[in-house]
Amino acid sequence: MCENSGAFKILMDHSPQPLVGVTAIEYVLGSETVAVGDLETRGLLETPASRLQEFGFHCVRLSREPSYELGLRAARKLLDAASVDPESVEAIFYVGATPLSHAVGTDDPRSVFNYPVAQLQYELELTRAITIGVSQLGCAGLMTAVSLARSFLISHESATRVLCVSSDVLPAGSQREMIYNVISDGACALLVEKGAQKNRILSFHQVTKGYYWDLTTKKNEIAAAYFPTARAIMQDTLRDCGIDWPSVGLILPHNVSLRSWEILLGLVGAPAEILFSDNIARFGHVIAADNWINLRDAVDGGRIQPHDKLLLFTFGFGANWACMLLEH
Amino acid sequence: MRDTIFLTGATGVIGQALVPLLTVRRDIKKVHTLIHNTPAGSSFEGVTAVSGNVALDEDLGLNDLWLEEIVEDVTVVIHAAADTRFSAPVAELRAVNAGGTQNLLAFASRCRKLRAIVCLSTVHVAGKRTGAIEEEIVEHSAGFVNSYEQSKYEAELLLRDKMKELPISVVRLSTVLGDSRNGEAAKLAAIHQGLRLYYHSLAPMIPGFPSSPVDLIASDYAAAAIAHLAISNFSPGSVFHLCGGQDVLSLDDLLKQTHEAFVRYRPSWRKRSIAAPSIVGLPTFELFAQSVDEVGDNLLRHSVNVIRHFAPQLAYPKTYEDAGCALALASMGVEKPRIADFYPKVIRSLVESGWADQKISTTPEAVAI
Repeated sequence: MCENSGAFKILMDHSPQPLVGVTAIEYVLGSETVAVGDLETRGLLETPASRLQEFGFHCVRLSREPSYELGLRAARKLLDAASVDPESVEAIFYVGATPLSHAVGTDDPRSVFNYPVAQLQYELELTRAITIGVSQLGCAGLMTAVSLARSFLISHESATRVLCVSSDVLPAGSQREMIYNVISDGACALLVEKGAQKNRILSFHQVTKGYYWDLTTKKNEIAAAYFPTARAIMQDTLRDCGIDWPSVGLILPHNVSLRSWEILLGLVGAPAEILFSDNIARFGHVIAADNWINLRDAVDGGRIQPHDKLLLFTFGFGANWACMLLEH
Repeated sequence: MRDTIFLTGATGVIGQALVPLLTVRRDIKKVHTLIHNTPAGSSFEGVTAVSGNVALDEDLGLNDLWLEEIVEDVTVVIHAAADTRFSAPVAELRAVNAGGTQNLLAFASRCRKLRAIVCLSTVHVAGKRTGAIEEEIVEHSAGFVNSYEQSKYEAELLLRDKMKELPISVVRLSTVLGDSRNGEAAKLAAIHQGLRLYYHSLAPMIPGFPSSPVDLIASDYAAAAIAHLAISNFSPGSVFHLCGGQDVLSLDDLLKQTHEAFVRYRPSWRKRSIAAPSIVGLPTFELFAQSVDEVGDNLLRHSVNVIRHFAPQLAYPKTYEDAGCALALASMGVEKPRIADFYPKVIRSLVESGWADQKISTTPEAVAI
């Protein structure tokens, strides 16, 4: 089995590891569907809407609910759909790309300590679960949380289930474009289980390059750095498992522009047919949730067969590149 | 008989390296340099700098006094003047590079004592041809990566047509990187700009193949070779490739050596963890460049344009035959510097000169010569 890089990998290679995978996925998007052209009319874009449409974006989903509410709804939906006994969940990893997502804010300044993950544990009666916030990873947060959940399950012999929840809602009136990509509000909940029979994690790589920490002054450098490091991490992830592109059934992308993916596919030498790109037009980039929403929709759409190898790639500010290989 | 030299393009990369070599030769009586857009005069003994412009007319913009003296005395013409802006419109480049050559030939035909005309060209007249490129002027329809290549190709065709009437040889240079002894680059060319973009994480990808040969030559060696081919061993009707030939770096190796040199000469650069540009197929590069054109801001657009105007040459891999040049230079007694030796010196010189710390301009490049 392949594993993360570094010392951890060496340790894992010397002892058999239980299989860990993502067994259930549910998501909730903002309730308001807005066309990219309407975003332009509202002054929420930097790039002309026509150009963003050429890049594959048609609509976004905006939420009037706070991120915590969306996260709670996604998690509740998952627990119900998968008939999960709340007592069986050993940990909750709560992911938010922005500081706003990590506080249930009120007018009282002390509300910055009102952590949504604790409230989630209470509302869902996950009384045995410990709570952990995962932040400062941008759009790579949920994939990293899944990897952390896997490590948690392996290191805690009796633990079998972890709930990972990501939720981000941009403040009302916010710009909806980040480096030529259009952003939706949404939440996604994942059940990560030991002994999983599907979506087993075969390999995970994450690269952090702090040089790019300042988005406000390094926008061009980030745009330029994105591609070579993306290629390297995707190749490393496949190499870990001794496979090449013909063995990959589907790429489950983060929903940045289709143009960007065309370039990246050319860079890595992957065929365009294996990119699951349906959701780029439908709702664009849902921060950290894209890969998992796409996995869910690809499964529902019959695009994935048992034992297909699935490559998930994402990029988050920070800057963080993350790539995971699953076996369905 | 001692030669009187007439040198155009004396302030260019090669011209600057050539002038001091000419002034110390005992077989040279006098050197006239044609200076465009620069105050006339010279800091070298035995060198006169005269104002003119090869693109202007068949008198090259010389005043009557100088015109008369130079036409009367000159024995060797070295034509190094060129407009080397890769991104300029072809009409502008043609006016200087082909038109200027035509004017120069008309001027030279009036020089009564003339015994040699050496015209500097570029190996990149091969354009989008691939494979082995011979030392001969060949008409081709492969196309060109930039207007500069095209204009120099057109200039060569003019030279070829005049070779029966005038004593002409053509010296094609590959990319001139810097001085092999101290690494100094007299002027920053496209390759130096490209390296700077890599240093600043603004060069995401380069079109080509990992094995694409990158042919680079040292400026001091190039200057010495040109002097030899013009004065000591002139061979009319010849075309020479003054290039690395077999001693080239692959694109992949070049990027690795660049990374190593950046880290060695600026250790703090390592912490940026900047990835080397990806080597990609031309269609992928073009799609990226198009996207940046459509939405990128000025800095990124400028960065991609710098790469776009020269690097696609690497997507048409070729090697330059240089047996004829090597034979002609055998009597020079100077060994060609090896790329593995002088490349790191050039990077070191660039890094230590503060080249990386200069603000990256987003304005169009200036006329090189």
